[in-house]
Amino acid sequence: MASIAASSSTSLLARPRQLVIAANQVKCFSYGRRSHLSFNLRQLPTRLSVSCAAKPETVEKVCAVVRKQLSLKEEDEVTAATKFLALGADSLDTVEIVMGLEEEFGIEMAEEKAQSIATVEQAAELIEELLLEKAK
Amino acid sequence: MRIRVMSQLQRSLSIELPSLVPLQLPSRMETHLWFIRPDEVKSTSLLKHYSQLLSPTEKEKVLQMRGDELKKNALLARTLVRATIARYQTNNAVDPKALMFKKNMYGKPEVDWQNYTNCNNPPLHFNISHTDSLIACGVTVHVPVGIDVEDKERKIKHDILAFAERFYSADEVKFLSTLPDPEVQRKEFIKLWTLKEAYVKALGKGFSAAPFNTFTIQSKVGTKGEYNLCKMTEMTASSLEETNKCDGEWKFSLLELDDSHYAAICIEDDEASGGAPMRVIVRKTIPFVEDELISESKLL
Repeated sequence: MASIAASSSTSLLARPRQLVIAANQVKCFSYGRRSHLSFNLRQLPTRLSVSCAAKPETVEKVCAVVRKQLSLKEEDEVTAATKFLALGADSLDTVEIVMGLEEEFGIEMAEEKAQSIATVEQAAELIEELLLEKAK
Repeated sequence: MRIRVMSQLQRSLSIELPSLVPLQLPSRMETHLWFIRPDEVKSTSLLKHYSQLLSPTEKEKVLQMRGDELKKNALLARTLVRATIARYQTNNAVDPKALMFKKNMYGKPEVDWQNYTNCNNPPLHFNISHTDSLIACGVTVHVPVGIDVEDKERKIKHDILAFAERFYSADEVKFLSTLPDPEVQRKEFIKLWTLKEAYVKALGKGFSAAPFNTFTIQSKVGTKGEYNLCKMTEMTASSLEETNKCDGEWKFSLLELDDSHYAAICIEDDEASGGAPMRVIVRKTIPFVEDELISESKLL
């Protein structure tokens, strides 16, 4: 399969999971644009950026950190849309999750931003934002 | 002292819930701390009655929780808040189902008294905290309150000092690093966590108003269960000298609850108190069923 890059002209067929994640979003938290996706598997127009939805690998890594921190069982479902609170995470768990994510990705999250993360997707997006900043 | 309200409730739970036993308001500088043990509430009938007290939004939030245990705990938390607050309306009976809640501009939940034309409603403040095995609700009059409870045995998955260095103040890191025993260190870390959380929740302005590393909480020398809050003032550009401003604006209490949890309470100081420490009345409860006054609250 084609390598997955954070570019805006990726075919949906190559990244079926990405479609699911984008379809769950009404708004892009980082960029505030509405997603105008329809639900067929047409090639996306190149002007429509999918970079408002985080990469699947980032989401997966976040899920792994969350699972570990909350000691979830195999069968407990964690997806991009999952809210930490719904999994029973309290404030101490959230902070430990943030620490775990900082370690996993080699970044540092400002406390206010870290506190505003409520879902896996939001965490993944913030992480990618920070990684981009770091790469500059 | 255990007050059993309605034992026939246990036998026949198809009847309506009994009316709530009214309560005396907390006095100034007094916090009422109520807690419930989810594993002591087993009756599905009782839980069904509880769920009928919740607003549609609350019910939706309960349903969003993953798994039966989390759903039950979320239900019990809302029931505890509604049933407890409704009991303080000593003049007029308040239906716990009719209570309305709103959030302040930072997201802290408060009672919305707009429904009640009786202007004598006491200015009740409340705050809740939950863990897997215990849910607590603190109630005060006139002053904002924040509470936090944690399981004493809670394991921290990261290195304690690394965690403290990342999030706590320099003085707190110093204090924790002087403790040689890792188990003692872990316990003190958790106690500090509950105190700091309680403060931020009492403040009610969200985390960005009081990042954990900008204030220190330490026990007051020569007292038991009393703590001081010291805030770091801004460092001047010319020198690296930090000054700590310790004020008595906030009062803290830390206690051991039911032998299993640490509970921290923070309230805004009422100048009328004359510097007296906070009084805490602890009661274990199963809403509509029974209350138990815990006569000794172990101060830490």
